[in-house]
Amino acid sequence: MPNWKPAIPGLLKKIAFYLLLIIIWEMVFRLKLWPAFSFPSPLGVMENLVSGAKDLSYFIAVGVSVKRVLLGYFISLAFGFTLGLIITQVRFLDETLSPLLLGLQTLPSICWLPLSILWFGIGEDSIIFVVAIGSTFSIAMSVVSGIKNVPPIFIRVAKTMGAKGSKAYTTVIIPAALPSIVSGMKQGWSFAWRALMAGELLSPKDGLGYALTIGRDLADMNQVVGVMIIIIMIGLLIDKFVFGRLEKSIRYRWGLTQS
Amino acid sequence: MLKIEKVSKTFISNARTTDTLEDITLNVNRGEFVALVGPSGCGKSTLLNIIAGLDGATHGRVIKEGKVISGAGPDRLVMMQEAALFPWLNVVDNVEYGMKIAGVPKPVRREKAFQFLKMVHLTRFSTSYPHELSGGMRQRVALARALAVDSDILLMDEPFAALDSQTRNILHAELQQIWWATKKTIIFVTHNVEEAVLLADRVWVMSANPGRIKKEFKINLERPRNTENLKLVHMVSQIMHELREEVEKVVESEFDSDWSPRSKKLVPTAI
Repeated sequence: MPNWKPAIPGLLKKIAFYLLLIIIWEMVFRLKLWPAFSFPSPLGVMENLVSGAKDLSYFIAVGVSVKRVLLGYFISLAFGFTLGLIITQVRFLDETLSPLLLGLQTLPSICWLPLSILWFGIGEDSIIFVVAIGSTFSIAMSVVSGIKNVPPIFIRVAKTMGAKGSKAYTTVIIPAALPSIVSGMKQGWSFAWRALMAGELLSPKDGLGYALTIGRDLADMNQVVGVMIIIIMIGLLIDKFVFGRLEKSIRYRWGLTQS
Repeated sequence: MLKIEKVSKTFISNARTTDTLEDITLNVNRGEFVALVGPSGCGKSTLLNIIAGLDGATHGRVIKEGKVISGAGPDRLVMMQEAALFPWLNVVDNVEYGMKIAGVPKPVRREKAFQFLKMVHLTRFSTSYPHELSGGMRQRVALARALAVDSDILLMDEPFAALDSQTRNILHAELQQIWWATKKTIIFVTHNVEEAVLLADRVWVMSANPGRIKKEFKINLERPRNTENLKLVHMVSQIMHELREEVEKVVESEFDSDWSPRSKKLVPTAI
């Protein structure tokens, strides 16, 4: 027994750990400590996920939600980036707008929903607006701070090498500001994702938030937990495979990894 | 080739007005290696920045080949104390940077970049990133980058000050060879007199507060020079003598008033 334990590679360890968690969950369910309609079993959740996948309803829901968040996020990238660049160019705006942006950034995106519904009506547009607005300020502020914190010596080097104006921006200033900008993009994404879920819950029409609402209305906890798991999976996937990779490659180039 | 005419620089801040440079007039000929030595704070870096176009003179002007200088540019490149390599580019991309801005096509500039890396003996590290290199290696890459731009004048602001003495000695030898091969016009700023005499044809000694040119020394020694040569040592001591007065003035202004370089006591008696 003690001989083959050290040979188990890391991945198997992780799988064994999660299997153990699921088993413990099933056992707690069997103990009937809480009524079945408020504490679901892992098998029930699995059934729900499988049936939702079979009739494609979950795929459609994921597609709808992801489409919304991507649309809102890319809008926020465009606006946030532009806003950030404008602020760094016009000193007057930097002095006046920056504190306002900071304040707006601390406002949870979902607070924009009532205003958004008034402007766009209940539906797609109001949710996309809420998704975009929260992320925009994060990105704008990280662009501003990234650009402001570029060491002046890099700009001097660029000037003496003949890089002026927009060339200096694209070849030196933006790359130098990239680590800060990427961390702002990551923060913006997490705001966008949360805003999407809140928006879909409060203004349900379709998508994952709507699926959650249906589950609650039908008292089907299997569905509720199932959708929660789907939401977690998507969030993890994007955080790890998109931002994780991006940040890793920047840290590797710049030598910011711990050694 | 380069005329510095009655250049003065005054820095005005909330606290005080500082006359950093006063009435500097110098001539530099094409292909010459000249050095500026002076105590810290005498304004030699400021003068270099003005020649580079990174700073403006309060009075006077700098004329290069008949045209007045008005801004920075690749014809007067500065190599600074910090290598300031771009951390998001690897070594060969960093060396290529100046050529990329100038619009040199990719295969040509890659080949040239390797030529210059060979000059500083760093071809093995062409794909490394700056954070993977030691300080001396980074300065060598910065030197290759500066040479790749092929500027008319190369300005060097204490480029080897932050390096250990072994690396510095190696770089002195390399720089002498490179200058001999390329015959660039180089203006070298340093506080190290030995370094100046080793490398330059002419050495100017600057005084501080305000910064003025005190004396010019012509270095008529054969090349390649080495630090054990007696004539060189003699030259160094002559220049040091001229410099000593200026250094003492700066030290007195920066240290406590009850201490002077000539006093015998090194440690305050009352503790």
